Amino acid sequence: MKTSNKLYLIALALVSFTFTSCESEDPVIENDGELITDVTLTFHELDASGNLVGDSFDFTASDAEGIEIGTTPNIETVMLEKGKTYQMTIDVFNSVANEDITEEIKAEGEAHQFYFLGSAFNSSPFLSYQYNDGGSELIGLKGKLTVQQSPGFNNANMQIILRHDLDKSFPGASNPNFEEYVKAGGESDLDITFPVVLK
Amino acid sequence: MNLKTGILLVLILSLGFKVQAQDCNLSIRGKIIHLENNEPIEAAYIWVIEAEEGAVSDQNGNFTVRNLCKGTYTVTIQYLGHKGIKDTILLESGTFTKTYRLEEEALGLQSVEVHGHRDAVTTTTAVSALYGEALLESRGENLGESLRRISGVSTFSTGNSISKPVIHGMHSNRIMIMNNGIRLEGQQWGAEHAPEIDPFLADEITVVKGAETVRYGPEAMGGVILVNPAPLPTKKTSKTSLNLIAGSNGRMGNINLVHVGGSDKIKGLGYRVQGSAKRSGNVKSPGYFQRNTGVSELNLSSSVGYSAKKIGIEAYYSLFQSELGILTDAHTGNLSDLEAIIENGRPFTDGEFDYAIINPKQRVTHHLAKLKSHYHISESWKLNFQYGFQLNHRQEFDKRRGDLNENASLDLELFTNTIDLYVNHTHENEFSGTWGINFIQQANTNIPGTGVTPLIPNYDMANVGFYAMEKYSKGPLEVEAGLRYDFRNVSTARYIGQELRTAKLDYQNLSAFIGGLYHISPDLTFNSNLGSAWRPPNVNELFSEGLHHGAAAVEIGNSDLESEKSLKWINELQYDGKRTHLEFTAYLNPISDYIYLNPTGEVFVSLRGTFNIYEYLQANALFYGFDFAGSYEFTDRISGYLKGSIVQAKNTDNDSYFPFIPSNRMDWGISYDFAKDAGSPTNKITVSNVLVAKQNREPAFDIAPPPPAYALFNLSYQKQFNLADDKLNLGLQVQNLFNTSYKDYMNRFRYFTYDMGTNILLKINYEF
Repeated sequence: MKTSNKLYLIALALVSFTFTSCESEDPVIENDGELITDVTLTFHELDASGNLVGDSFDFTASDAEGIEIGTTPNIETVMLEKGKTYQMTIDVFNSVANEDITEEIKAEGEAHQFYFLGSAFNSSPFLSYQYNDGGSELIGLKGKLTVQQSPGFNNANMQIILRHDLDKSFPGASNPNFEEYVKAGGESDLDITFPVVLK
Repeated sequence: MNLKTGILLVLILSLGFKVQAQDCNLSIRGKIIHLENNEPIEAAYIWVIEAEEGAVSDQNGNFTVRNLCKGTYTVTIQYLGHKGIKDTILLESGTFTKTYRLEEEALGLQSVEVHGHRDAVTTTTAVSALYGEALLESRGENLGESLRRISGVSTFSTGNSISKPVIHGMHSNRIMIMNNGIRLEGQQWGAEHAPEIDPFLADEITVVKGAETVRYGPEAMGGVILVNPAPLPTKKTSKTSLNLIAGSNGRMGNINLVHVGGSDKIKGLGYRVQGSAKRSGNVKSPGYFQRNTGVSELNLSSSVGYSAKKIGIEAYYSLFQSELGILTDAHTGNLSDLEAIIENGRPFTDGEFDYAIINPKQRVTHHLAKLKSHYHISESWKLNFQYGFQLNHRQEFDKRRGDLNENASLDLELFTNTIDLYVNHTHENEFSGTWGINFIQQANTNIPGTGVTPLIPNYDMANVGFYAMEKYSKGPLEVEAGLRYDFRNVSTARYIGQELRTAKLDYQNLSAFIGGLYHISPDLTFNSNLGSAWRPPNVNELFSEGLHHGAAAVEIGNSDLESEKSLKWINELQYDGKRTHLEFTAYLNPISDYIYLNPTGEVFVSLRGTFNIYEYLQANALFYGFDFAGSYEFTDRISGYLKGSIVQAKNTDNDSYFPFIPSNRMDWGISYDFAKDAGSPTNKITVSNVLVAKQNREPAFDIAPPPPAYALFNLSYQKQFNLADDKLNLGLQVQNLFNTSYKDYMNRFRYFTYDMGTNILLKINYEF
């Protein structure tokens, strides 16, 4: 019986040890790193030879709460002038973790691409978009947006979708207005619809 | 002699004969079980000295000696290694019934075999087990898949690598899984959280289909799954078993090695070590590969035990380690993404074969250690102590940007301590029972650095339960009743944004059961069990708040939820004939305050897109259904089997159905046996057909309608070779023979993909 007595002692020691070491840790604040709280579209007019003219102006979509039920994002109306061509840059920001996501998208350019949909491009098209990120990758952080001279409408919607982990070589994926973007795989990181009004 | 006296004489004679015939129609029936653990003893020898009649007990320990006349008899009962019993019986009318408990002979006699202290399931509830040949055929499958072989058990799965067992429509925290006697405590609340257990560690997997809260503690509402290794050897032995399995679909390789040994020097000392490894790559559905569906598993278990006459002690450790990929296409960004793939019915890309496991993926490690001992206070009283320690570490990785891609977005560490202290008493008279106290303590911590607000808070839980069960056995009849009281305290803490939210919650409950088992005849058994059960709400049901990626859903918990309370009445009729085996189970299971995830019909709009909002609600529910399993030997060579189950789950508050309840299913097959006679090694081919109906009992809301009915054909060939002392089993299986495209209602990934296509498996088992 000696061995079993020893085993009982070991068991008791094990029990008391684990019981004291078994308590949950105090919680810590986690800043949601994946969250996108602010998307800013910056427009800068381009002249016929492609040089920047005048001052830039921007429009923002923001959702400070991140994932919180009951709040809806605040989306500004994009105001553009007929017949003009703009350089459009997109800035993506996480105000919760104070993090510039634009840089991350640029760094992982091969896995990200913006698509520009909505009535402004498709059903009542008065806008046309060209990727202009520089380099070989089509991303859409920087592009050329042209407004028609005399469109039949002066307001429409511009839906901006950011796809992550898509197959960029999928047929049609290089078209910025590719409506069947889901077929290229991946998932949506952003899906924002801006109202557009023409002056 | 005149006619009258002649008639009278005939009358008297016949009367006398009649009386005598009646008197000699009596019988002695009994049941023989181990004194120590109530396990039935098969092949005990019963002899009625005066009548010179004998019987041998069957596998349930039952025996009958018929055609006895009125009188006093001496019955002797003998079984190898056990003290014989001599009993004097006064047989007056009808049938005399008695249960005999045999006590093990004292240790020390060289010839006596001391058997291990394996505690049988002594419940009177419906029980089905997977062992022997059926278990051998299931090797290489995960626990959920293996258990589908038992009627009434199905799976709730997430793709082809994650499957959770479902008993009578209930899964996750409504059933319990016991790993060698310890309740498995992982993060079982999640639909995509597979049980952290390696089926290779078991030599028998038992499913208890009744409510067993009293015996096993809260949450054992729908049933209990017991994953039990073989008892440790108590004498000198050395046995090794090797399993090698290869599967064509996913190019799966699986190896398992078990070594069991017993000491020569120290009588009663035995050990076992076991290890298994599994690797598979992308699974192929008819026409395409499912991207990122590989699995990598590494499991270990070991135990050492010592048993002597009065004392027994066993130490056990098991490690489960798994890394598995989640189908790339199932990770949708928002509701429109989800709708697009549902409409397409399968991934947009064909994929290709790859072993690599990338994000999204899960990585789970589960350690379980236990120490168990018992002490025989006296011949009929046994004191038991069991301590279990578990550490579960679950990491879930999402597709993320930058450095975050390397960080888990869910990183949970769960510690669990369980202590059981109980006494068993068994007497030579009719009563036996268990009284005990059970203590569970748990601590859950979110490991910082995920960059995501935790889905569930950090928490501490303590649960104390007191229980008592008594069983009355008399021959073919067993009646059992039990009572248990539990108290549970949960305290939680978590930051949502910058705000600290804490909660302290108490739950308590009284549960009880009563059950009975009657051997109508040696072949036919009926049992019935009525048990109440309860389940306190889970932490995710109380506090979930956040985005559930694959489902494009925001799930919101409710901290005011109350405990679920259920009553399960289950009846089973079992027939074990020479050629026929039948099992029929029917149950009725009303539940009050059943917790379920309900779509609110509202959507949540963010910069990321739109999501459905779900909330946890409670309603009264009624579950009921039937299971059926039968087999029949048409000839010595040809046999057939048929299994089926139907389960209904209604929300009785608004007369609707709950989601993710298995649809009607049936499985039948025909086997041809090439073996010469019953004693020769297995050499058998089986063709089987699985039929699964469309789920017509649709819930009010689902993001996609239930998939259509399907039929699958499977082929299996099993051959055993006896090589001197060694044994070799060869198995060849073809699953989904015709490469049928199908979707199962109980697979959450039916939204994204078809199920697995044809899979050819080669299974080798070598015992030496």
